[in-house]
Amino acid sequence: MFLQLLVNGLVTGSVYAIAAVGVSLVYGILRLVNFAYGDMMALGAFIAYFANVTLGLPMVLAALVAMLAMAAISIALDVVLWRPLRVRRAGFMSLFLASIGVALVLRQAILLVWGPQNRSYDVDPFKVYVIGSVRLSLAQVVTIVTASAAIVAIGVFLARSPSGRVMRAMADDRVLAQISGIDVNRVILVTWVISGLTAGLAGVLAALVQSSFDPNFGFQLLLPVFAAVVLGGIGSAYGALAGGLVLGVATELSTWEGFAGGVDPVYKPVVAFSVLIVALLLRPQGLFGRARVV
Amino acid sequence: MSVLSSGEFWAFVGVMAGIYTLFTLGLQVQFGLAGLLNFGQVGFMAIGAYTMAILVVKQGWSMWLATPLAVVVAAAAGVLVGLPTLRLRGDYFAIVTIAFSEIVRWVATNEDRLTGGSQGTINLSGEGVATQYNGAWERFQGWVGDELHIGSKDVVMLIIVWTVALLLLWLTARLARTPWGRVLRAIREDEDATASLGKPVFRYRLQALALGAAFAGLAGCFYAWQFSFFGPDDFQPLITFFGWMILILGGVGRVWAVPVGAAIFGFLFAATRFFDFPPFSYLDSADRAYVRLMVIGLAIVLLVVFRPQGILGRREEMVLE
Amino acid sequence: MTALLEARGVTKSFAGVRAVDDASLVVADRSITALIGPNGAGKSTLFNCISGFLRPDAGHIDLGGKRIDRSPPHRIVRAGLARTFQTARALTRMTVLDNVRLAAPGHPGERLDSLVLRRGAVRLREREVTEQALDLLRLVRLDTHADSLSGTLSGGQRKLLDLARILMASPRMILLDEPMAGVNPALREELLAHVLELRATRGITFLIVEHDLGFVMQASDRVVVMNEGRVLMEGTPDEVRGDERVIDAYLGTHA
Repeated sequence: MFLQLLVNGLVTGSVYAIAAVGVSLVYGILRLVNFAYGDMMALGAFIAYFANVTLGLPMVLAALVAMLAMAAISIALDVVLWRPLRVRRAGFMSLFLASIGVALVLRQAILLVWGPQNRSYDVDPFKVYVIGSVRLSLAQVVTIVTASAAIVAIGVFLARSPSGRVMRAMADDRVLAQISGIDVNRVILVTWVISGLTAGLAGVLAALVQSSFDPNFGFQLLLPVFAAVVLGGIGSAYGALAGGLVLGVATELSTWEGFAGGVDPVYKPVVAFSVLIVALLLRPQGLFGRARVV
Repeated sequence: MSVLSSGEFWAFVGVMAGIYTLFTLGLQVQFGLAGLLNFGQVGFMAIGAYTMAILVVKQGWSMWLATPLAVVVAAAAGVLVGLPTLRLRGDYFAIVTIAFSEIVRWVATNEDRLTGGSQGTINLSGEGVATQYNGAWERFQGWVGDELHIGSKDVVMLIIVWTVALLLLWLTARLARTPWGRVLRAIREDEDATASLGKPVFRYRLQALALGAAFAGLAGCFYAWQFSFFGPDDFQPLITFFGWMILILGGVGRVWAVPVGAAIFGFLFAATRFFDFPPFSYLDSADRAYVRLMVIGLAIVLLVVFRPQGILGRREEMVLE
Repeated sequence: MTALLEARGVTKSFAGVRAVDDASLVVADRSITALIGPNGAGKSTLFNCISGFLRPDAGHIDLGGKRIDRSPPHRIVRAGLARTFQTARALTRMTVLDNVRLAAPGHPGERLDSLVLRRGAVRLREREVTEQALDLLRLVRLDTHADSLSGTLSGGQRKLLDLARILMASPRMILLDEPMAGVNPALREELLAHVLELRATRGITFLIVEHDLGFVMQASDRVVVMNEGRVLMEGTPDEVRGDERVIDAYLGTHA
């Protein structure tokens, strides 16, 4: 049972991890807490639904369509909203409020087009893989494989590619990076592309794992994702990855009977937040964050 | 279109504006005065509402005792939340407060025996027994109506809510000008400089958080009386976001900006109800509700782009100089 | 010579780097002591440890015999030790007068309970505080700016405001963090005069981090030299000026 929960946790955690990287990079580079990210994930999931169920495309293709669509939408939003706000030197509160406005618009758009009912992808829900004492649904296997590949790809991109290194530098210490003469606009473009891709992918994978989803599931997902970003330490993309995995695993494992009867599964979100709060008490800057200096 | 001129309807809008004024006044104390990013304000509102209802229904308390205690409990919740979290940096604190309000909502949904569960307060005495906490309030409302010779319940409610709101607004404005308010403003601008002047920064922040939470608790009680029953889903994070919108719409840092923001927001929200003309008239009512919220979302974005300081606020609050 | 401030074996590391390494120093009561050393020597970190903004990993810090290294900044201020920051941190959105009034200790108006229950005491104290604030502003010649926002003050004026603020709490000891940084010669003389006068008339002890060696030689009784987190030596200005280790440290002949 423990192993099963651990694997479930890795599945959930990897979805959190991918989403958390997108949120973290946008915050680190654009100083924007993107409350619309949850609804971007949901929109990605619904676009994939359109591709998969309505158009009959295979799931892989549908996911790609969703990812590209969300990347395009992210760029469009930057052109239409975020860049004008940057020009007007909007402060943190303005950006935050604007992202709430965008979230509202996106959510209502999904509701207008698809309605409030639950949806599911055209995948076989009964197919099960058994490895030892662990049972995995097709969705879970796909998620783990895809998420791992994505995490590795993101990790490599951030570590090796020139853009990636620049992004990490900017997220860590923006002023210093700008003084070093990097092309800020290009970095911002890349940031939004990655954010869109991760939102699309995370949304689709989460919807797959949940097997049925409704337009509100994005925001519900967003809170543990924010928690993962904070847990990992704001400004650290690697931290976001780690934070996502830790939260996912901790949430699932908390229901194990071995921990004094285990937590009622209904309380899993509470566990995620509790883990975050306890971690911040012990290490206020997050796992990979930097301590405050006066 | 006749509803637009209906006094009852606008009285209702006014009541909601009053409730949101109390709610947002709490945010103004927490953020405008003290610089705290509390995104879990709705959690304190829920605690106020539920505490009052539970005490009245389950413990048989009088509403007149239950309400002050509910407000105190909300303030105490503020202290409990703040103790472990106020030392965190601002954005972390924000996330943790959202977590708090969601935990409150989760507990309210799942602890059926305490809160009536997802069905709400109708179930406070268990399944199958419909309960009301509103009896004493209705009598009070009736009494006020008789004394003022006003027949409409909504108008009476309007008067009561706004009397309380205006009183608290006035008190808060005075509080902001005291030396206590001075310390908070200093902490908000530069906590290290203020600490270096001998002020216990943490303690002041805790007080601001608790005071703001008390206002939210009171708003919760009024919400409870206005609707005579409520459930956990009445206290979603969206409510907190509306509060923040009102705060910014009116203007950060000015106590009297809060009712201005609430009035405008209430008007916007209500006015979108009346999109009876094409193309909106082609949509069914569910779709129209979505479009309304979409319009509000767009209005927020436009506000941020073209008038970030809101009506009465200062530009420096919202714009980097 | 009675010691007012004693630091023993203070150590503070960041990410594996020892910013302050087993540093000890003694500041005599009513003395003016300078703390000098090249950039990165650990002076600011030591200051932060003494004033409570950082907690040392190891070591003791005593003020007047009482331990302060575990206390938060506001308690250390109450114990009689005040500090400035390298950039004078005026509260720009408040008036000059409010900046100084803010610094008054023991004001019942700053407590919610007193605001409700002891309104008379609150009003009285506010009047006292305003008087005292105006006196101090006259001392630093900023009284004409009392009602302006402190954001309108120049850098030099803000340093004077800093000084006025600190004096509101009648400290026994003041830590000055590079008071001469970016200061024009006229203001330099004025600040120097204030420091000497405050020591003479109010018996205030000073510990000053400074790069302006001219000031150090003129004003200080003792000089403590730090390098790479450690205290290199300590002595009179003349002793320090001629010491080879100090010269080496500044010229960077160490690795």
